[in-house]
Amino acid sequence: MSGTLLTLIWATPLLFLLLCIVAPVRRHVMWLLPLAPLPALFASVVAFAGDLQWSITPLGMSFVIDRPASLLLGAAALLWVMAGFYLRIFFRTETNSQRFAMWWLLTMTGSLGVFTAADLVSFYLLFSVVSLAAYGLIVHEGSAQVRQSTAIYIGFAVMSEAFLLIAFVMLAATSPSGNLLIADAVTALPSSPWFGLITGLLILGFGFKIGLVPFNGWMPLTYAAAPIPAAAVLSGAGVKAGVIGFIRFMPFDGDLAEWGWLLVIAGLFSAFYGVIIGITQSSPKTILAYSSISQMGFIATLFGAGMIAGNAGAVVLIAFYAAHHTLMKGASFLAIGAFSRSRSSVSTLLIVLMVLASLGLAGLPFTGGYLAKLAVKDVLGEGTIGTLAALSAGGTALLMVHFLRTLSTVSSDRNDSQIEAVLTGPWAAVMLACLVGPWVLYSVVTGYPLSAVLAGSDLFKAFWPIVLGGVLAIILNRYRAYVPKVREGDIVWLGRPFVTMAGQMGCALEAMDTSLRRWPVAGIVLLCLILVIGWSMQLTP
Amino acid sequence: MVMTAIVVGATGLFARGQFAGTVASSEARGPVVFWVLVLAIWSALNIVFVAEDLFTLYVALELLTFAAVPLVCFDGNAETLAAALRYLLFALIGSVLYLLGTALIYGTHGTLDIGLLAPLVQADRFVWVAISLMTVGLLAKTALFPLHLWLPPAHAGAPAAASAVLSALVVKGSFFIIVRLWFDLIPHLPNPLSQQILGALGAAAIIVGSTLAIRQARLKLLIAYSTVAQIGYLFLVFPLALGATVNPWTTIAATGGVIQLISHAFAKAAMFMAAGLIAKAIGHDRIDGFAGLGRALPITVIALGIGGLSLMGLPPSGGFVAKWMMLTASVTQGQWWWAVVILFGGLLAAIYIFRVLGQAFSLSTHPLHLEKPVPLGKQLTVLGLALAAVLLGFIPMEPLPLLSIGHADIVGGVQP
Repeated sequence: MSGTLLTLIWATPLLFLLLCIVAPVRRHVMWLLPLAPLPALFASVVAFAGDLQWSITPLGMSFVIDRPASLLLGAAALLWVMAGFYLRIFFRTETNSQRFAMWWLLTMTGSLGVFTAADLVSFYLLFSVVSLAAYGLIVHEGSAQVRQSTAIYIGFAVMSEAFLLIAFVMLAATSPSGNLLIADAVTALPSSPWFGLITGLLILGFGFKIGLVPFNGWMPLTYAAAPIPAAAVLSGAGVKAGVIGFIRFMPFDGDLAEWGWLLVIAGLFSAFYGVIIGITQSSPKTILAYSSISQMGFIATLFGAGMIAGNAGAVVLIAFYAAHHTLMKGASFLAIGAFSRSRSSVSTLLIVLMVLASLGLAGLPFTGGYLAKLAVKDVLGEGTIGTLAALSAGGTALLMVHFLRTLSTVSSDRNDSQIEAVLTGPWAAVMLACLVGPWVLYSVVTGYPLSAVLAGSDLFKAFWPIVLGGVLAIILNRYRAYVPKVREGDIVWLGRPFVTMAGQMGCALEAMDTSLRRWPVAGIVLLCLILVIGWSMQLTP
Repeated sequence: MVMTAIVVGATGLFARGQFAGTVASSEARGPVVFWVLVLAIWSALNIVFVAEDLFTLYVALELLTFAAVPLVCFDGNAETLAAALRYLLFALIGSVLYLLGTALIYGTHGTLDIGLLAPLVQADRFVWVAISLMTVGLLAKTALFPLHLWLPPAHAGAPAAASAVLSALVVKGSFFIIVRLWFDLIPHLPNPLSQQILGALGAAAIIVGSTLAIRQARLKLLIAYSTVAQIGYLFLVFPLALGATVNPWTTIAATGGVIQLISHAFAKAAMFMAAGLIAKAIGHDRIDGFAGLGRALPITVIALGIGGLSLMGLPPSGGFVAKWMMLTASVTQGQWWWAVVILFGGLLAAIYIFRVLGQAFSLSTHPLHLEKPVPLGKQLTVLGLALAAVLLGFIPMEPLPLLSIGHADIVGGVQP
């Protein structure tokens, strides 16, 4: 039973993809998209009640869904379902929608599967699938600028995988039992001579994926380049591959406090950096990308704080927070599409919900986001980290107000269509899930009673960042003219000299190759090699 | 005894040789010559894998070269003829060096049987000179950087099926002999510096080959330079497998090397044939003109992509398993610099593969015009080869027992 379910999570989208070989299936593939994540959604509900695990012994693959994974998987699967419905309407008149749908299924395979992988190879495989298959989603529009952004994205993705690969190899080499289970390898990690190095490489690899500053440059470019539904699933579900990575691999036994501090510092820096660059942007997609950088920075801070405190119970709370972010970010991107396609069908009620949900990200009381913030309050503690994190919530409020303001000015390009009014359905569903879902799960996940939520001190603590954000937003609005423009992607452009340099090195190597391939040179090289190898052998005793 | 062991060890390689042979049959356009040559290559490779004395290996090597050269100039135009002559000359220089080394060994020890020689060879000057002559001669035939002058024109000029055989199999023959020399003949003579030199050449091949592959405008040349790079990975086996004190065949690096050899053979054969199909279908193989290809020839492009993923070392593929094992070996032995090269090579491979696939999957303003229809059977054969490279990815991640059968005796008998 659990085996079937765990396989179906990633096998369903993959199977649908293979069925696309048959032309009739391919023509109706858009109908399959919302169905493909359903097994994952079901599995996450089952796994929430009790862990699922299963392994295919001969292949050395194993899968597990524990409580944190079930939260992330559930949120991601729900977003994939809704975005699937949304995509079908959104791409109604698109000519190349079939090709896009196939990349969609492949990305989904990795995105949902990675939450369940329990051994190093499966994890690496599914992580690569979600990172690399996103290529097809991002590049879809195909203009030169989009292609450039995609190339930058792939560069970052491949780099992150290289760091992870070497870290995984080192992990496997230290794992005494000889198997490749992540849990065993991480348990054995503290006794490894490369403990710090491996952890550092893992942080680097997953940091790339979650856009931790200074590895953040790809995020705004990617989300701006991708079609809106793709940006929704990538920013909501896709980056969570990095979050599950931190959950699975980081040591939460207090052994590596210095790396924890590093994460906290990088995370808090990202949290503020995302806000500061975000408010200089004018496109809603880019603003959301910077909000993602800020939020992922906050999540990294949570991991760091958990590592410093040696708080293994933190992961489930962080997963709770991250699951809320999955839905919230998805809903925000879907909102952009709903506004731009059929503004007239967006009712006042929906706008109110959207405002509530957006400010929920900053912890507005009684929203789902408020509960998410409350859940991780103890992880952060009361000290400096807690205070700075609360300040960053103020920043988030500011950024969200900026986003909503920009959203309201989005011009609607085709207002006439009745069908596109249906876009608001999936959008509203994701939004409701992120407002209501945390209320349902809060006390089960955190173990805190729901009644404590209404304690006066917490309410006050949750309110002041919102007020702060509001005041800052008013000030920003006043002095808007003085805000400098920052090119989206910010520090990526610092890399330009390196690209030129790499090009020059390529030229130099080409010239060298041409000369090496001339006969006289090759002959001399041949002779030299004989001498060198003979000489080097002679040297040894 | 050792012979039977190697027969077992090489069974996988045989299967591979046979496979490529049957694929070639679907490509052959009648001429008997082609057939004879492919069969000659096949038998020469079999001799290489089972032969037990240095002179038989030399004969096999010559057969391999003389069968491979005509394949290069199969089309018969001036350009390929020049490439073939280049190849012939350089390969002959290699052969002469090898023969010289063999003669020295025979003069010193009076036998050429590897099994008998292994206990006899001592760390004296004659052996060093002989081994370095033989090794470099074979390096020239394997086209290890910087002795790769003949490979790109030869492999890019030959007809698709021939380049597949050349790139996938022929260069591996001479590589395998180097492995035999170092693993079977002189494993007990420690010479870390020369092993590091071989490894360094391999590393240079990875970086230079991949960089040049990125800069090629034509698909076949890109694949040919990628072969230069992939051969480099094979040579990392020497510092990694011989660095340990145990029997080199039982190390994880040796297994990684063999899997790299086999998976590269599958992937490269698939890629060259795919390139051939593409060239025939659209009349050229300039990468810039590939827009819309993904729609016109989906199966071929997917095969090309799968082969490319194996070269990049993404799971599940033989390339990934090989890379994983080599990384494990370099990490556990503390030779981390090879790990850096392997990872960097993977990044470069990603760039050139995505360059091709990105073009192939991009949309063209006008639908791509196919000059000739491509038979489905050929496309499926190519896909099958690429999938074989993927299937290798399901090999368990440990040293293959297959390789160590029989070899234990050699080293065990030699070491006091």
